[in-house]
Amino acid sequence: MDNASEGKTKDFTSSGILLTIFLVTKLIKLNNLTFSYDKENQILTDINLKIPTGEFSLLVGPTGCGKSTLLKILADLYPKFAGHLSGTVTLAGLKSAMMFQSAGEQFTMATPREEIIFALENLCLTKAQYEKRLNEAVLFAQIDYLLDQKINTMSGGEQQRVALAVLIAMNVDLFLLDEPFASCDPAARKFLIAKLAHLRDQGKTIIVSDHVLSGYEGICDNLFQFQGKKIVQFAPDEKEQLLQKSMMAASYSFALPEQNEPNCFTLQNTRIYQNRLLLKQEHLNIVAGKTTLITGANGVGKTSLFNALTKMLPYSGSITYHNQEINKLATRKYLLKVGQIFQSASDQFINVSVADEINLSKKHRTNSFFTDEKINETLSYLELDSLLDHVVYSLSGGQQKKLQILLMLISDQDVLLIDEPLSGLDAVSAGKVMTLLRKSQKTRNQTLLIISHELTNLADWCDYHLVFQDQHLSYTNK
Amino acid sequence: MNPSFKFFLALIISLEISLKSSLCTNLLIIGFALIYLIYKHIKLKNLLLTLLMPLIAAFTVFATLYWFAPQPNLQNALSLSSRVYVYTLTIYCVSIGTTATDLARSFEQNFHLPSKFAYGVLAALNIVPRMKTAVKQIRTAGMMRGVYLSFWSPVLYFKAILVALNSAENLAQGMASHGYQENAKRSVIVSIPIKKSDWLTASIILLLVNLALFTLK
Repeated sequence: MDNASEGKTKDFTSSGILLTIFLVTKLIKLNNLTFSYDKENQILTDINLKIPTGEFSLLVGPTGCGKSTLLKILADLYPKFAGHLSGTVTLAGLKSAMMFQSAGEQFTMATPREEIIFALENLCLTKAQYEKRLNEAVLFAQIDYLLDQKINTMSGGEQQRVALAVLIAMNVDLFLLDEPFASCDPAARKFLIAKLAHLRDQGKTIIVSDHVLSGYEGICDNLFQFQGKKIVQFAPDEKEQLLQKSMMAASYSFALPEQNEPNCFTLQNTRIYQNRLLLKQEHLNIVAGKTTLITGANGVGKTSLFNALTKMLPYSGSITYHNQEINKLATRKYLLKVGQIFQSASDQFINVSVADEINLSKKHRTNSFFTDEKINETLSYLELDSLLDHVVYSLSGGQQKKLQILLMLISDQDVLLIDEPLSGLDAVSAGKVMTLLRKSQKTRNQTLLIISHELTNLADWCDYHLVFQDQHLSYTNK
Repeated sequence: MNPSFKFFLALIISLEISLKSSLCTNLLIIGFALIYLIYKHIKLKNLLLTLLMPLIAAFTVFATLYWFAPQPNLQNALSLSSRVYVYTLTIYCVSIGTTATDLARSFEQNFHLPSKFAYGVLAALNIVPRMKTAVKQIRTAGMMRGVYLSFWSPVLYFKAILVALNSAENLAQGMASHGYQENAKRSVIVSIPIKKSDWLTASIILLLVNLALFTLK
């Protein structure tokens, strides 16, 4: 090689290294960032943060600490839509898009295909580009069978997958995902995290907020935690330690119900449809006075089963409650016996303020478990006592969940159908809520049916475990 | 036919019918609309419903003008009451084979309606099924806590409005997060063309309606 060309090669190499350094050191910077929704309460105070681009960052912290707020600031939605901001945010020139905590409320159009068209038209793409992007997005999130289905008939987990697909189709540089797997089953969660890691390897920046740390070990590059009103970054070894700890999945064992136990619900030749056949059950008994955990993949029909049990969704065949066909029971009386704790907390609220909600639940209680004193004690235990005059809809996702569960425990149902009680709750709150549920169940001998993807804090005290798959529910001891 | 053309055609016909009364034209339009609907294979149940529902309005108009008017005029009464059917049937013809999405896209592309308006209305329409589920859920949530919310209960609607407001807020943010910007240029992925045949069909129909309107009684 002659000298001239050697020099050129050197130049290329050094400029390559420089370029790499330049790319690696590009940072998303927050300087002295302070944000508040109203004048009194600051959600974020004087935050200084550097988030490396092209990496996978995880944002953790207790319920209501401001994770969603921070993501919305990064997505340039705040302060455009709400709140006051001081300080600066630089995104290093990245195009960003965000997936909301309640994914279902993010869509303008009726079906995933229409929504992707809408988003790509906004980005001024051509038809040819759209077809390519659509294929990529569908492959990525595996939503081909959902593409032309109405979004509002999909399950929570399916909506989250669709929301992710839209972001993939938009091909943004910065993915802001607010609890993107909260309604996903473990298999879907693992699959999607691996896919996100793949995107990171292609140079995308991923920022995820989550309460659950499992599945991120070896994938997450940076771990940030909200501590009070500050955000701290974990050192690499601390981070690995924390993620490893959550990896040690405990194995749980359950009993199988005995033949002669008293039944609460009995299903006989039951069919439930929503868009497609979800449940086809020859026979099933659900034991009274016990806690039964129900698990199953996204969209398998868990919530629809609950909706059928609370008469919101029709069924064919027979479902009996203490040997009476539930279709024939008067709805008003029946729902005072059988209550559902909805997946989305705000659906449960009837009144405006936290205090009004508590008073409404108090009005109809006949149990001696939740005395006024006990209620006040529980409110402070759940850290809701300072929020009594707040509008329920202004609470954070996690605070709403805690309040919702408390309200339904105060009212007097014998049976509670609990849909994803841990979604949106940090580990400490989840522990508290579970202790409360467990105490109430034991003392009042309630029948609890719990749908959950998250088993920590929960699986060790459930009596039975029902697995929902292939349109069928069956008991298992694992 | 182009969705906007269909829409404006129905609008113009309805306006003309309202201004000039001609029983024969009304009957002709009703007849052709029915033939078109049957040709499009609509369900018998839907057809019967479309014929029965306006009957109350049509009958009331007829009764007022024929039995309770100081100078009853059969021709006039029939003409006015048949208008009700012209309105419902022409609108039904527009809605057949045209989705709200197509219509919004057509308004945006062919008539340069601001995209904010087109997609705002569309998003609102997409909230309707969600509102239906929400109302059902609110009633269930109420009953579970000993509160019975009847269909005329203000609490039910207050709560439904809250849900709608909350959805609207999220929707505005959702649109922005999917790249939507007011007044920004947007590309066209699904194009709704205006064909020569659209002009031709619309003109012929309008011509025939006007001929009938001004020559027949």
